[in-house]
Amino acid sequence: MNFPIVIPSEVEESRGGTQDQFRGVPRLRFASLGMTANRRLAIFLCSVFGIASAAFAQSDAEFAKANQDFAQGHFKEAVAGYEALVRAGEWNANLFYDLGNAYFRTRDFGRAILNYERALALDRHHPEATANLHIARDESRALELQPTRLERYLQFASINQYTIAAAVAFWLGIFGMVALAFARRRSAALISLSILCLLVCAVAVWAVHKLDNGSEGRGLAIVTGQDVQARLATADTANSVLALPPGSEIKILSTRGDWMYAALPNDLRGWIQTKNAEQVRL
Amino acid sequence: MFQRISIALLIAAACIDFARADSPSVTAVLSNSEATVGETVELQIKVTGPGDARPPEEISIDGLEIRSTGTSRQFEIHNFATSSSVTYNYTILPLRAGRFTIPPQTVRAGGKILRTPELALNVADAPGQQTTTRPGRGAQSAQSQATGARDLVFAELIVPKKTAYVGEIVPVQIKMGFDARVHPRLTEPPDITGQGFTSQKLQQSSQNLETINGRPFEVVTFKTAIAAARAGKFEIGPVKAKAQVVVPRRRNAPRGRSPFDLFDLDDPFSDPFFSNPFAQFGERRDIQISSEPVALEVKPLPPNAPPSFSGAIGSFTIATDAKPKSVQVGDPITVTTAISGRGNFDRVNAPLLEDDRGWHKYPPSSKFKQDDEVGISGTKTFEMVVSPNENKQSLPVLAFSYFDPAKEQYVTLHSEPTAITVQGGATAPAVAAQQPASSPATAPRGRAPVPTKPQDILYQLTEPSRTVASFEPFYARRGFLLAQSLPLAALLVFAGWKIRRARLDDREARRIGALQHEAAELMHKLRRDDASPREYYAEASRVVQLKAALASRNRGLDPNVVDAETAAETFKLDTDSRERLRSLFEQNDEWQYSGTHNGPGRISPENRRDVLELIENLK
Repeated sequence: MNFPIVIPSEVEESRGGTQDQFRGVPRLRFASLGMTANRRLAIFLCSVFGIASAAFAQSDAEFAKANQDFAQGHFKEAVAGYEALVRAGEWNANLFYDLGNAYFRTRDFGRAILNYERALALDRHHPEATANLHIARDESRALELQPTRLERYLQFASINQYTIAAAVAFWLGIFGMVALAFARRRSAALISLSILCLLVCAVAVWAVHKLDNGSEGRGLAIVTGQDVQARLATADTANSVLALPPGSEIKILSTRGDWMYAALPNDLRGWIQTKNAEQVRL
Repeated sequence: MFQRISIALLIAAACIDFARADSPSVTAVLSNSEATVGETVELQIKVTGPGDARPPEEISIDGLEIRSTGTSRQFEIHNFATSSSVTYNYTILPLRAGRFTIPPQTVRAGGKILRTPELALNVADAPGQQTTTRPGRGAQSAQSQATGARDLVFAELIVPKKTAYVGEIVPVQIKMGFDARVHPRLTEPPDITGQGFTSQKLQQSSQNLETINGRPFEVVTFKTAIAAARAGKFEIGPVKAKAQVVVPRRRNAPRGRSPFDLFDLDDPFSDPFFSNPFAQFGERRDIQISSEPVALEVKPLPPNAPPSFSGAIGSFTIATDAKPKSVQVGDPITVTTAISGRGNFDRVNAPLLEDDRGWHKYPPSSKFKQDDEVGISGTKTFEMVVSPNENKQSLPVLAFSYFDPAKEQYVTLHSEPTAITVQGGATAPAVAAQQPASSPATAPRGRAPVPTKPQDILYQLTEPSRTVASFEPFYARRGFLLAQSLPLAALLVFAGWKIRRARLDDREARRIGALQHEAAELMHKLRRDDASPREYYAEASRVVQLKAALASRNRGLDPNVVDAETAAETFKLDTDSRERLRSLFEQNDEWQYSGTHNGPGRISPENRRDVLELIENLK
């Protein structure tokens, strides 16, 4: 679908009369069109909508093509199609779920688990991704990081939910404090409400920090390589700490060159080559 | 009855003990029965019993120079039994080689004459001189002060084996001796130099006082272990360390012999500094200590190592346990294997399953508990989770191989066969929940039981999504941060509105205050009788206007526009009061505007009282 795009031709000089107030401000003149401001805005919005629609239409076509490849058993082609969409930034839970399925069919369980995890990172209540993740883990015998008890309790809400709660509580608390500052009489209820809101804010911020740095936080990565060994030092000849099947979870603690230091399942820590694992959060 | 017998027995035992303690005895020991010429040996004669013992007379033996170095007394109370002892110390310096006999010495103690046993001392010729830097006569001939400082310390590297295999752990001891009077301080710990071997972390094992060449030395013992990395002949060491010691300052005047320098060994402590610390200050000096190197021949491991050999060298035993022993197909079983013994535990890997068909195994975890200071003796425990894929009657046999340097051959240990019960077909609903707590967390949580047919993944989702999601949490998104400007703006508006309102309230309050102040001043003037009628009525009217403005606070009434009717309305006056108020305002107008007045030049007290009463009643 093609949309005409109006290109501004030159800068119109300022005019007198009612437009005196805009004197000195350069204004765009549309060639051969004496349009009003409203019409120009409408055209601009239409253009934006058109470009967006065209982009969506293109991505829909690529998505449909990848789905078709998958249905016909051309899993590698399907993987390539889905990956192209991921590279284009068309991220959504269903795309990662489908990509995970395509990798599963190619028996690349590490990347299948990685993409199921990404689908769940975007939509933590994605039932299909949850189910297939379990199956992929069973197939690959992947190891998992055990969240602490505190993390398990905190996971009843997501980081974004905690963030919103923190913001709302913060502003309520601040409004309450400002109202108290100007009030002639100090209201005990208002004081209590303000303190409560600020406490809720603090707890929510702490929860965000714990979850973000926890076993399923931003450091979470999935082993995608085969026969990966976590080692005591940054050398292939260093002693092995743990053998990590594909799809195993690790938490990246730091990186040094081609190696990263990670928390491993079983409360271990070791060095892994960066090419052997990918972070869940893009 | 029984109690009396017990008491009697206790008393009898105490008496026997006392009698035994009362009977003096004597022993004599040599610190070493073998020595070389110039190497000193300690002789101790210990008298146990009553305290009035007399030491033996001077011991004189041809070829040996024996000097008394002091007496020490000990008093002990042990289980209500007391004992005391006196020890006479001697230092023997062999002057020539040969076999010497120290004859029994006579000691008087508790009124008795006791005799020490006869002692033998074999003295060999000195082979050149001491190999280590232990202080000795030959080494002491150095003249410089630095040499003297070095004579106050020594280092010795003790390697118990002359040959070893590649990778074999060889325990090593390092002894560092410091003359007790130099207040030594180790600035750099000992380091074993050399190439072709790895050494473990050095551990300080003990620190004790020894007498060497008649001088007390603080001897610190370090322990470590080395392992050769390749075959060949190596030189281990020398051990090098740095220390600070206190030595006397250089002096030009000749000095006398130290009481410690029994045999005129040119002891640096013959300096008066040590006999009288105030005679001259000592100086702290850095010295380097080094030992002699030790040769070690390293042999390669023999070929044809068994498949389960991972490089372990030493002597080990294996013990295995498994839990639970009754499972469903697919359930996890934790197999715990303990490998104990002595050797290079860093190369001890988990034992292998000899036949893993029908089993799925997970990577093992391990932990090591060392029994010694350097970690060459202990127990390494492996936990491995295995799960049967089919019906089995026993766990697979585990094999662990190592090289025994004593037997000079490879040894393979096998675990005892462990019977288990595996029920196939039926699936356990909650496998992860049944997992033992001690099992490693490597097994997948919530793992589904192994079905006969592998599970398949769910369908594709072909519905395209219109929304593009982000992995970035809200707090890191620009939109979220921009959205915070809305409540911030609202807060600023709210605060501004509150501030404006407060200011308005403040202005009104000031206006009211000013009106009240003016009304009070005018009332004060009205109560005085020195005002002219023109002033009086003007002030009275003004007070009425002020009071009316104050009374109508909410309406913001300007006092200048208040007339009689407005004031009467404001105070809701009755007809009489309204008339009086009107009359007051008229009189004021007359005085203000007519220029003359029909009445008297002064206001009568009745009129004044009447006006005041009217004004005061305006509320």
